[in-house]
Amino acid sequence: MNKNKERIAVTLMLLATVVTIVGVFGIESFRRKQFYTVELIARSPLNGNWTSRGKDGIWHPRKIYAPYGKEVKLYIRNIETVSHGFALPDFNRTDLCDIAKQVVEEKKHSVYSRNRFFYRHHSCFLGCI
Amino acid sequence: MRNQKIIKICFLLSTFYLLFSFGSSFAQSEKFFEIRAKKFSYTPNIIRVNKGDLVRVRLISEDVHHGLFIDGYGIKTSAHPGMEGSLKFVADKPGRYTFRCSVTCGEFHPYMVGYMVVGPNSRFWMYGGIVLGIGVIAFLTTFLRKKQNVQG
Amino acid sequence: MSKDKLFGLVDLDWRFELTKFKLIRALFKSRWFPLLAIIFNLFIFVIILIAGLIGGFSAGNYNFGIMIVWILWWVMLMFVLVPIFSRAWCLMCPFPVFGDWMQRGALFNVNPGKLKGLNLKWPKALKNMWVMNILFLVTTFFSGFFTVRPLATFILLGGIILLAFIIGLIFEKRTFCLYVCPVSGFQGLYSQFAMAEVRRKDPEICKNHNVKTCFMGNECGYGCPWMLAPFHFTKNTYCGMCLECFKSCPHDNMGFNLRPPGVDLLVDEKRGLDEAWKAFIMLGIAMVFFLTMQGPWGVLKDMVRGTSLKGYLTFISLHSAFSLLIVPAIFFFFSWLSKLFSGAKEVSLRKIFTNFSYTLVPLGLGVWIAFSIGIILPNGSYILHIISDPFSWGWNLFGTKSFPWTPVFTGILGYLQGLVLVIFYLFSLAYGSRLARQTYPDEAQAKRGWIPMLVFLTLAALAFLWLYIG
Repeated sequence: MNKNKERIAVTLMLLATVVTIVGVFGIESFRRKQFYTVELIARSPLNGNWTSRGKDGIWHPRKIYAPYGKEVKLYIRNIETVSHGFALPDFNRTDLCDIAKQVVEEKKHSVYSRNRFFYRHHSCFLGCI
Repeated sequence: MRNQKIIKICFLLSTFYLLFSFGSSFAQSEKFFEIRAKKFSYTPNIIRVNKGDLVRVRLISEDVHHGLFIDGYGIKTSAHPGMEGSLKFVADKPGRYTFRCSVTCGEFHPYMVGYMVVGPNSRFWMYGGIVLGIGVIAFLTTFLRKKQNVQG
Repeated sequence: MSKDKLFGLVDLDWRFELTKFKLIRALFKSRWFPLLAIIFNLFIFVIILIAGLIGGFSAGNYNFGIMIVWILWWVMLMFVLVPIFSRAWCLMCPFPVFGDWMQRGALFNVNPGKLKGLNLKWPKALKNMWVMNILFLVTTFFSGFFTVRPLATFILLGGIILLAFIIGLIFEKRTFCLYVCPVSGFQGLYSQFAMAEVRRKDPEICKNHNVKTCFMGNECGYGCPWMLAPFHFTKNTYCGMCLECFKSCPHDNMGFNLRPPGVDLLVDEKRGLDEAWKAFIMLGIAMVFFLTMQGPWGVLKDMVRGTSLKGYLTFISLHSAFSLLIVPAIFFFFSWLSKLFSGAKEVSLRKIFTNFSYTLVPLGLGVWIAFSIGIILPNGSYILHIISDPFSWGWNLFGTKSFPWTPVFTGILGYLQGLVLVIFYLFSLAYGSRLARQTYPDEAQAKRGWIPMLVFLTLAALAFLWLYIG
C-alpha cells in the first residue's frame, strides 16, 4: 500500500474537481474586480429588453449606471439565441463625463437621499443591430 | 480464372464510362433564386442548377440576421430583415453542396442548411456505380466460385 | 489448412502485440495508467459542466460543453477511438470514477477484501444490451435540446455521472458501464470491428494458473471490474480496457494487440437479438439524425426541437418506429429471403436474422463516420474559439477567441463521405459472406443464402449514399 501515491491521486482528483470549480469562478471574480464592472443582459424588446447590474447588485431595466471618471467594463451577455449588437452612439469618453456631470447636478438631492451620491447615472441609448 | 478477371474489369470499365458520360451535354444558362431564410430553414430548401450555370442568389431574411455560406464554393452573404444579401457565381463544380447559415441565428443555427445540386451529380453516380459494381462482382464471384468447385 | 485472408491480403489471425514493447508494457502495468487519463478527462468534464450550467439556454455553437462533447468527443469516438482502439474511451472515461472510488475506498491503491457498497448483482434477464438500447434511443429523443442548449447538456451529463455513482453504490463493480451507460452500447457493438484488442497471450499459462488473479484480483490489481474472465474472453464487446488484468496477472500473460478490423464479427459466441437491435437502432438513428440535422427540411427541425407538442410526439413516434420496427422488419424480410433461397430448413430464421445482423456493424460504423465528417468539417472551427473562451466571459487563454467560423474542406466533404461508405460497405460484404458460411451448414446453401443479404447491404449502402451525397 503506497500512501503517498494515494495522497497524490486524491490531490489530483481534488484539483480536477473542487479546485477547478473554485479556480474558475475565482479567476473570473478577480478579473471583474479590476474594473468597475457592469453586467449587461442583451434581450430583444419582446423579451424584456436590456437590463444591467453594477456593484449595487440591482437589476436596472434599460439603464446602465456608471461612476463618474472611472473606467467601466461592460460584460454584455446575450442570453437569447439570436445575435445582438451593442452601440452607444451618443457617447465617446469625453461626452460621458460632461453629460454625467450635468445629470449629477440635477439629480444630486435625489441621489443623496438614496445614499448613492458617488454614482452618476445616465440613460444610455442602446442600439440593437 | 483469367476469364473471370477480364469479365470483372470489362464490367467495371463500362460502368464507369456510362456514368461519367452521363449528362455531359447540359446547356449553360443564368439562374436566379430568391431564397428566404427563416429560423431554421430556407425556402426553397433545395436549388438545382446545371454545371456551368451563372447563379444569382438573393437572400431575404424573414426574421433575424441570417447568413448563407455555400460549401465547396466558399462564398457567403448575409441578410438582415429589410436588408437583402446577394451572391453571384458560376456553378462550376458538379455535385450536391450544402449551403448553411453563417450567422448565429438561434439554437438550431448549425443545422440551418439547404442543398444546392449542381447537375449532373456525378459524385453520387460515381459512388453509386462503384457500390453497384462491387455488389455485382461479389454476386458473380459467388456463382463463379461455385462453378469452379463443381468443375474441380 | 489455408489461412483466411481479409480481401485476400490480411490474415485474419494476424496479431501484433503492442505490449511487447517495454515502455508500453510498463505503462499498462502501472497503476497511474489509466488513472491519470481519467483524472484529466474528469477535469475536462468539470469545465464542460460549468460551461453548460453558465451557458443556460444560449445558442450552443459558442459553448465549450456543446462543442467539446457533441463535436470533438463524438467525432473522435466514431473516427478514432472505436474503430481503431475498441473501447479506449471506456479506458479513460470519468463517469464511473466516483463509483469506483467509493467501492474501492482508494483511487490509486488496491484495497484487499470485499468492495464497499451493496454489491448487488444486476438481474440476469437484463445482462445484455436491452437497457442500453432503450436508454440510448430515449436519449436521442432529446437530441434537439442537448446538442444545442448548454443547460440540456449539463443536465444530461450530470445525470449520467450521478446515475453512474448511484448504480455503483447499489450494484457490483462496473455494472453501470456494462449494462446501463448509453455510450457503452454502441461502443460495445462497434468495438467488434476495432483494430485493437486485449487478450490473454498463452492459453497454457492461464490453464495452469489456478488462482486466476485476473478475475479474482490480488495486491497489484483488482479482479476484472467488467466481470469478464480475462483468461478466456474472445470478443471486445464487454471489455472496457481498464487494464486491471495487466496489473493483476503475475505471469504477464495479457497482451494489447493490433489486429485486422472486424475479426470479432466472426466469433460465434454470445450473439443475440440485443446486439442485433443495437445495430438496427444505430442505423435508424443515423438516418434520422442526418435528416433532421444535416437535411434541408425545416419541418423536421421544428419537430425535433419541439416547437409544437404534436410535432415533437410525432418525431418520437416515427423515430422509435423506424429504429425499432421498420429497419428490423426490412432486415427480417431479407433474412427470410435468405432462408428461402438457401433451402436450409434446419437453420432457424432467428439464427439467420441474428448472425447476419452483424454485417450491419461495419456499415453502421461507416455511416456514423461519414455523418461525423459532415459535422466536424463545417463546424470544427468553433472549437478554436471555445478553448480560448470556454465560459464566454471574454477570456482569451490561447489567443484564438476571435477565430471566426471557418468551414474547411467542404469541397471534398461529399467525396470523403462517399469513400467512407464504400470502404465500410466492402467490409460488410467481406464479413457477410463469411457469416453466411458460419450460418449455413452447407457451402452451397451459404452461397444461395448470402445473395439476399448482399442485396440488402447494397441497397442500404446506396440509400445512405443518396442521403449523404445524392
